[in-house]
Amino acid sequence: MAYEPKIVAFLCNWCSYAGADLAGTSRISYPPNVRAIRVMCSGRVDPAFVITAFETGADGVLVTGCHPGDCHYVSGNLKAEKRMKNVRKLLGLLGLGPERLRLEWVSTSEGGKFAEVVTDFTEQLRKMAPNPLKAEVNPRAPKNTKDVISKAVKKTNVQYCLECGKCSGSCPISKVNDAYSPRRTVERFLLGFGDRVLSGTDLWTCLTCFTCTERCPSDVRYPEFVRACRRLASREVMEELCAHRGIPIALSRIMTNPSIKQERMAWLPNGAEFSQRDDLLYFVGCLPYFDVVFEDFNLELLKIPQSVVKILNKVGIKPAMLSNEKCCGHDLLWTGDLENFERLARTNVAEIKETGATRVVTACPECYRTLKKDYTELLGSLDFEVLHISELLSELIDKGELKYDVKLPMKVVYQDSCRLGRHMGVYEPPRKTIAEIPGIELMEMGRNRENAVCCGVNAWLSCNKYSKAVQIDRLMEAKATGADLLVTACPKCQIHWKCVTSEKLPVNPEEVTMEMRDLSVLVAEAMHLT
Amino acid sequence: MFICHCGINIGGVVNVPEVVKYAMTLPNVVYSEDNLYTCSSEGLSKIKEGIGKYNLNRVIVASCTPRTHEPLFRATCEEAGVNRYLFEMANIREHCSWAHMHEPEKATEKAKDIVRMAVAKARLLKPQEEPEIEVVPSALVIGGGISGMTAALCLADQGFKVYLVEKEPELGGMLRHLHKLYPTMVDASEGLNNIVEALKPNKNIEVWASTVVKQVKGFIGNFDVSVQRKNGETANFRVGTIIVATGADVFEPVGMYGYKKYDNVITQFKLEQLLKGGQLEKPERVVMIQCTGAREEKGRTYCSRICCMTALKNALLVKELYPETDVYILFRDLQTYGREYEEWHRMAQDRGVKFVTYALEKPPEVVAGHDGKLTVDVYHALLGEQVQIESNLLVLSTPLVQHEDAKELSQTLKVPLGPDGFFFEAHVKLRPIDFATDGIFVCGTAHSPKDTAESVSQALGVASRAAIPMAVKRLRTEAITAIVDESLCSGCGTCVKICPYGAIQKDEKGVARVTAVVCKGCGTCGASCPEKAITMRHFTDEQVIAQALAALGRAVA
Amino acid sequence: MEASKSVLVIGGGIAGMQASLDLASRGLKVYLAERTPSIGGRMAQLDKTFPTMDCSICILAPKMIECFRHPNITLLTYSEVQEVSGSAGNFTVKILKKPRFINEERCTGCGVCAQHCPVEVPNEFDMGIGVRKAIYVPFPQAVPLKYTIDEEHCLKCRLCQRTCLAEAVDLDQKPEVVHLNVGAIVVATGFELFDVQRRSEYGYGKYQNVLISLEFERLLSASGPTGGHLLRLSDGRIPQRIAFIQCVGSRSLKGGVSFCSSACCMYATKEAILIREHEPECEVYIFYNELKVFGKGFQDFVTRAQNYWGVKYVRALPGEVVEDSKTGDLTLWYEDTRENVTKSIKADIVVLCPALVPRAANKEVGVILGLDLDEHGFFKPKDTIFAPVDTKVPGVFVCGYCQSPKDIPESVAQASAAAARAAEVMALSAGKEVY
Repeated sequence: MAYEPKIVAFLCNWCSYAGADLAGTSRISYPPNVRAIRVMCSGRVDPAFVITAFETGADGVLVTGCHPGDCHYVSGNLKAEKRMKNVRKLLGLLGLGPERLRLEWVSTSEGGKFAEVVTDFTEQLRKMAPNPLKAEVNPRAPKNTKDVISKAVKKTNVQYCLECGKCSGSCPISKVNDAYSPRRTVERFLLGFGDRVLSGTDLWTCLTCFTCTERCPSDVRYPEFVRACRRLASREVMEELCAHRGIPIALSRIMTNPSIKQERMAWLPNGAEFSQRDDLLYFVGCLPYFDVVFEDFNLELLKIPQSVVKILNKVGIKPAMLSNEKCCGHDLLWTGDLENFERLARTNVAEIKETGATRVVTACPECYRTLKKDYTELLGSLDFEVLHISELLSELIDKGELKYDVKLPMKVVYQDSCRLGRHMGVYEPPRKTIAEIPGIELMEMGRNRENAVCCGVNAWLSCNKYSKAVQIDRLMEAKATGADLLVTACPKCQIHWKCVTSEKLPVNPEEVTMEMRDLSVLVAEAMHLT
Repeated sequence: MFICHCGINIGGVVNVPEVVKYAMTLPNVVYSEDNLYTCSSEGLSKIKEGIGKYNLNRVIVASCTPRTHEPLFRATCEEAGVNRYLFEMANIREHCSWAHMHEPEKATEKAKDIVRMAVAKARLLKPQEEPEIEVVPSALVIGGGISGMTAALCLADQGFKVYLVEKEPELGGMLRHLHKLYPTMVDASEGLNNIVEALKPNKNIEVWASTVVKQVKGFIGNFDVSVQRKNGETANFRVGTIIVATGADVFEPVGMYGYKKYDNVITQFKLEQLLKGGQLEKPERVVMIQCTGAREEKGRTYCSRICCMTALKNALLVKELYPETDVYILFRDLQTYGREYEEWHRMAQDRGVKFVTYALEKPPEVVAGHDGKLTVDVYHALLGEQVQIESNLLVLSTPLVQHEDAKELSQTLKVPLGPDGFFFEAHVKLRPIDFATDGIFVCGTAHSPKDTAESVSQALGVASRAAIPMAVKRLRTEAITAIVDESLCSGCGTCVKICPYGAIQKDEKGVARVTAVVCKGCGTCGASCPEKAITMRHFTDEQVIAQALAALGRAVA
Repeated sequence: MEASKSVLVIGGGIAGMQASLDLASRGLKVYLAERTPSIGGRMAQLDKTFPTMDCSICILAPKMIECFRHPNITLLTYSEVQEVSGSAGNFTVKILKKPRFINEERCTGCGVCAQHCPVEVPNEFDMGIGVRKAIYVPFPQAVPLKYTIDEEHCLKCRLCQRTCLAEAVDLDQKPEVVHLNVGAIVVATGFELFDVQRRSEYGYGKYQNVLISLEFERLLSASGPTGGHLLRLSDGRIPQRIAFIQCVGSRSLKGGVSFCSSACCMYATKEAILIREHEPECEVYIFYNELKVFGKGFQDFVTRAQNYWGVKYVRALPGEVVEDSKTGDLTLWYEDTRENVTKSIKADIVVLCPALVPRAANKEVGVILGLDLDEHGFFKPKDTIFAPVDTKVPGVFVCGYCQSPKDIPESVAQASAAAARAAEVMALSAGKEVY
């Protein structure tokens, strides 16, 4: 048990770094476990630095800054405080222990304080278990590039491309960024110029929304091809293009470690009933984490799983839930990290098996697709059936077991998310579920069902002005239907749209901003469960 | 007088009711009406009705070109008891409404003039008879390739005698040089053998190999054909119908893409022969260039139809022989039409054949590389960049072209060649394998580039077309012929010299006499006779002059 | 041996008619069975034909009339083949003549009945964009020119009966079964159109100004619902830009059929030229993938369309068509593959060129005759290369589009081929020369 904790410290240049210097100058001893990194201000400390540190094996991270009011840059330290609070929540969820992250104010003259903090922190960490994470951050790319590509070409029908351009004419990104063309990318691979593509940004631009696949006369499954090639593509480029500084994806990676024991059930509402073993398992997804990462959007994301559980309880189901449910791995799969995806898949499937569940329901289309389709492809047929919540609700409505008690007189427009819609063909159950609510008038956007438009970002990649253009266009379309409420079954759609509407918009906000709600939350409302 | 609206084709430009009224003012016009579509059953009934009701003995239909419906209207008149040659058409569509679409008033005035001219002629028309001739129940098939043999066999099996004339020493034509035929990939030689074997014992077919047609005289039902063998032997046949199945040649692209300059540049046809003979040595990389010498801006502007499929077929065969060989196909538009040819494109894509699209404006360039290799520099039209491909075998897909000696044959038979050099049919849509000259038919690549299956269909087709006159044994011939007034003939012999069909000869009295059945009614004799002794039935001097005068608004006598 | 001198032709389009005329002209008896009230087939629906720009009905009508008048041809219109037994030289056929509820002997085709009929329904001949009455002839040049009552929509108000001067209406008419004995059978059932609603990205059925080509052809035709005036169905406006989208449902590995319909590039060119003739101010774009110019005169036709008529060819299949619901104007999104740029273009009318597919009813015909069909529904020839019009059943032949995609000249030539084979086989089975 006697291990020496490794501490990574971020010291701000003006106060805390000088304070640490003073400790040395004053010959005050402290344990040698800390490794300091100088930054200009504690406000510089990106949560991603902290997460990376932990992912790579730091047992503790120390962030020090000037005392509040003394920040050389006015209020950088206050920003740091807020951010680190946030990261602590993530650490808490992950079960790593929020106390592994410390934020202290150390001034230039506080050499003694610095030494004290380090000594105390080291002692504390000695008493805790070492950080189980020791992973390599970057997945290893296979060496046999040509082989991988030619297998992918055959598997995804890329070889049958007719160069008709229908894909680019359908691609929401290509329409606003004509430097990007799925067709040209395919042609380059076919002619042997794939290396250019692997080292460029094109591979990371694809939204994997499947609009091109839906319409391609040669059944070229371009997003699947892109996914296969992402394994071989430049990780540096990817990291540059990954939004939110790669934190959500890092969290997924962290969860692959078998020692991670999360604490992720705090969102459960009072009186919620669930079990360790049941026929039906509710797979929650990463909402507890997104709730923290996207705190500022005030999306009340936890209402989604809360609504689901309330609904299930109301109809007499006490769902099984995994207390250590891992991320389904969707974003890892779609960014080419197959090794880690496989780890998550195997863990989740084994855990679900333990519960004896024969049906798994999820309120996230990405989890839905991943569990139903990608897990099956990887591991063979599963012992359980996978349903989206809307399919279950639709079933319950048909059986007469789900009744709506509240009238909600409003016009609602429904967004078909890519994963639920084009990927998995689920178009009618969500509509049925919504339309049955008394008082609701369900509107349709012109581009609906298989022609619906993606919310503009996938796997946090390439979120840029082009994605914004796609998002604004889609929101305007939704608004133009005259609906009061935009309903989606996908939390990611909501997050991305909230993101764009929180910024300064190039168009009149009136034409774009809409009230948004998740399908499950709406249903819970209509059942008087909120 | 029946004036047609032809929907809006005429009525949309010409004021038809006005023309109807005008017609009534013309001499001898006792009845005039307009129809929406005179050629419809309704229209034809009205003609018959009008003839009966108004006791018409001359009928004019002012509508489209006589080249479409003249036979129909003539037959209708005849059914109503009016000799078919007492019928005249006024072309107020092709010659009027369609050509003057933006000047309706002028078009209407012109329509009136045209109608007036028709009346002027109609008044002078006389009834004519169409003499019947017997049809010899045998056919001449020129060309012993798959088309010729198929036609010959089909006709023979229907009971007709067939003379199959082939200029080469053996039958088979292009099939002798081909390797495998798409889409069934049957061996060309196997297919060829099957049909030659079927042909040999057939008692109705007389094969004349190493033979060419020297002269053809006569007309449908009675063609006099003279042929000559290479060894000088001659023969004469009497046939009722003639089928042209002379095939085509492969274009040699001298001067293009290094052909004949570099050894490793060959035609697709040559590749076919190499594959057939098992003589293709392993090439590292093959580049095929489609549309070499075809679909050009000027000259050979046509698409040769078969080159894309041939290239795909041969590419697949090369891949089968040498799986590591790279094959590139440089093309403009891939002609993979029909029921299953698209699947060949997919098959080629499956086997890793690489496709590069190039544009007419920026054709590939071929330069010599190192070690005898060639570098093909092509602007990839769909990527927008230059692509260099090194190759040690360049295959040029060239079009089929008409034989050099076709011109002679076309003159011998008096059948035309079209602008692309291939034989030109009677009507592109509805009479694709008939010639305008009755009794002569065309099939196979002599008509236009096509593959074996399509040639067989056309060959069977002509077997039906040719069988018709031979099956009914008697035909009515042209009534529009020349006749000499012997009392006026001075025996100068001018007409004899200029008749293109040899239909006029001087008899024992030294006076010109027309063989009506040979005469095609062209009228050149009538125009040249210094004594005005020759009358062209249905196109007499008086009739023609009356039309001219009527055109100029002079009163008709 | 009467049987060996007559032939049944199934399908009264140009192929069926050509085969019938060839056989009849040489003295054989022909029964031409056609399931609609008139022969003529697809060609009757066309305005002009490529590449000659002949008026379609003008060159077709003489053939139709010849079929009608020919003493050797018996037309069995509005009829369907129900049963076939026997073998080459001696087939027994049972044909159901559906009741027209009109006495064909008495009907003069005058049309007074239709003037009085109160029921108006979409006209199949006009692909649903025009109307007809419940008592109707499919088109003005119909052969035979006899009216037919559409049982499904007839109100039995008997106004037609009351106004018919020839007393030709017979509402008690029963279906008639005709028994025939023939020596050979020629199948020429033609094609129908792929359901383009399956390609929902183009909005057919949702957007009023997205039409399929055959509908558009009817719009251009003088005998069509607008009398040949080119205007938009949504607002009657004269279009300023029309876009054609090729390959809708053709050449597809999913969501369509894999084969090339072989006529669409050319007929789109033809329709484009017609547009430029009708409205010189109207721009025309043809969006294509591979331009099929393999036939005689095809390339020159396209060159002329481009250089003389100014038709614009864009090598791109649009990804989608969207509509401005206020104006009905359409926007197409496409990647111009030659210019490497993704862009959009507005159009007043979008014309979709659907795959031309063998009739679904071919399956039934196949069962009745014992024929094999391929996965698309085309009748399988005995040998694609050397016996293209023969089938696995001796004495039964196929020709025209139902054998494989082709245009009019190829259908005509192949129809003659089927006639030749029919005559040949009958001769051989009768043991003597057929003529």
